Amino acid sequence: MKYIESHSSSTEITPRPAVGFFRSKAALRLLLAIVILAALVIIRDNELVGSLGSRAQTFVTIFLSIFIEAVPFLLAGSIVSGLLEVYVNSETIYRFVPRHPLAAALVGGGMGLIFPVCECGVVPVTRRLYLKGLPISMGIAFMLAAPVINPVVLASTYAAFGWGPIFYGRIILSFLIASVIGFVFHFAKPEDVLRSDQLAAIDHHQCHPHEHTHDHPHESGLNRFWNALSIGGDDFFDMGRYLIIGSMLAAAMQTLVPQPVLLALGAGSATSILAMMTLAFVLSVCSTVDSFLALAFVNSFPPAAILAFLVFGPMVDIKSSLMFLGVFKRRVVLYLILLPFMATLMITVYLNLNMSW
Amino acid sequence: MTTSWKAIILIVMGLFLFSRILSGTLLFYINERFLWLTVLAALGLILVGISYRYRTEHDHDHDGHHHDHDGHSHGQLSWMGLLLIASPMVLGLAIPPKPLGAAAMTNRDISLESLTSAAAPEGGAVLSKPKTEKNILDWIIDFRQTSDPAALAGEEVKLVGFVYRDDRFAEDSFMVSRFVVSCCAADAAPLGLVVHWPDSPTLADDQWVEVTGVLEPGEFGGEQLPLVKAASVTSTDVPDQPYLYPF
Repeated sequence: MKYIESHSSSTEITPRPAVGFFRSKAALRLLLAIVILAALVIIRDNELVGSLGSRAQTFVTIFLSIFIEAVPFLLAGSIVSGLLEVYVNSETIYRFVPRHPLAAALVGGGMGLIFPVCECGVVPVTRRLYLKGLPISMGIAFMLAAPVINPVVLASTYAAFGWGPIFYGRIILSFLIASVIGFVFHFAKPEDVLRSDQLAAIDHHQCHPHEHTHDHPHESGLNRFWNALSIGGDDFFDMGRYLIIGSMLAAAMQTLVPQPVLLALGAGSATSILAMMTLAFVLSVCSTVDSFLALAFVNSFPPAAILAFLVFGPMVDIKSSLMFLGVFKRRVVLYLILLPFMATLMITVYLNLNMSW
Repeated sequence: MTTSWKAIILIVMGLFLFSRILSGTLLFYINERFLWLTVLAALGLILVGISYRYRTEHDHDHDGHHHDHDGHSHGQLSWMGLLLIASPMVLGLAIPPKPLGAAAMTNRDISLESLTSAAAPEGGAVLSKPKTEKNILDWIIDFRQTSDPAALAGEEVKLVGFVYRDDRFAEDSFMVSRFVVSCCAADAAPLGLVVHWPDSPTLADDQWVEVTGVLEPGEFGGEQLPLVKAASVTSTDVPDQPYLYPF
């Protein structure tokens, strides 16, 4: 936890490094930022970019739309993470973790009811909970299930589909798949699952278990609140990078890959499901609203394919799987994409063949 | 990366969102009903940006414990990371905001199947709308509920949309089109009605037009569907809400 600035210039000016922002060097940077932005506006008005073509325009519109739609949720998750860091200590978490691994995974699957976050917000929260000593299995179950098993998404699914097989199918499948995958990771060692910087941070927390909550006993409530917010800000930057790469990839896919190719697969019992799962992955739409989007496909796809879209999409899509990279090792991220994929595919194909809706 | 950069970027991002809200161009990206979320996000970003000013908990390294925290939270972002986080604002400012148009149609299906399925099945309220206010989506929902192209024959329509054409269209016809957006432009589904108008060749692709005319039964791409026989087609500005919302 080093700040270049605190070690270099601004320390000499002020005793409190973070305050340097409002002093000379920061003012210079702000000026630089403003100059760059002004230059961009001038370039734009010169129509220099007009030659970029309409495809680039489409890409930018879709990229910004995914990003703008996800920002509120990522920010909310980051702030929750900051608040957890400041106000909740590891002992409290430890007390709530069930001793039995299966129970822990199941509780993790239902934890979204307490932390109502969707797939963008859940990643920073999970990462923070890992720092606070949450078991790997429970965190993964939470991370995969919470985007569906939370009050907001349950309400929007109900609003779109009402009480029916799609509604409870989505809840049951999401909960089961997430919990089972979480439980599987109970058998993995944390050092095989988490990124090494994440492990180092956990170590750090273990050797200073009290530093965050009791380091500054003299601190006022307001100060702690500002600290929570700025820690949330750090998380926003850590996760925002992945969100932005993910949004760009999703926008590029949408600009380059023709959707009719995908939707033409609508007929077969397995291909229709594959098509909807691919669509969920590519569209990367937030789980709070994906039910309304799924409504648009109810006429052209069988119910099991709609269900696959609604179960797989919230667990894994382009932007969330990129955000996983900020917490887990690459190989584990691959498992976190493939396991939900296989599980959802097998169950929904089975349902498609054996259920009359 | 230093805290000051983070604070600046967060505040600029908040202001960027506010500028899009105030100029109305936010509706080029998301469904109107999620606008309040963006307002909250913009306020939150600015608040978090300000919080760096009052941060007291930082820099645990001075107590002599050196752990490897490179690239981890509370840590530094490289210049690449900085550029990446700034890229939505950079792209947003460098490329003028524009709603999805005819160019985005080429990647999307415009068969009847997609036309009707994009209209979510909540047409009840639509039927009671005054006929002059019905938009493309409303008419397609109406058509879908009857499924008989002749049922709507003779209805007078006034439609606003952009001009779309591909090689399936005859010389004297084009499609007056809109995108239907459930949540954000990423899920935009194209929707449109084929218009017959002798002066069609004078229209530019992607141009926004207001079409008045009557519906008549017709056929397009092998499907039975209502067409618009246009009485007039006039050029118009991009509407405040370029997309249609299915709910």
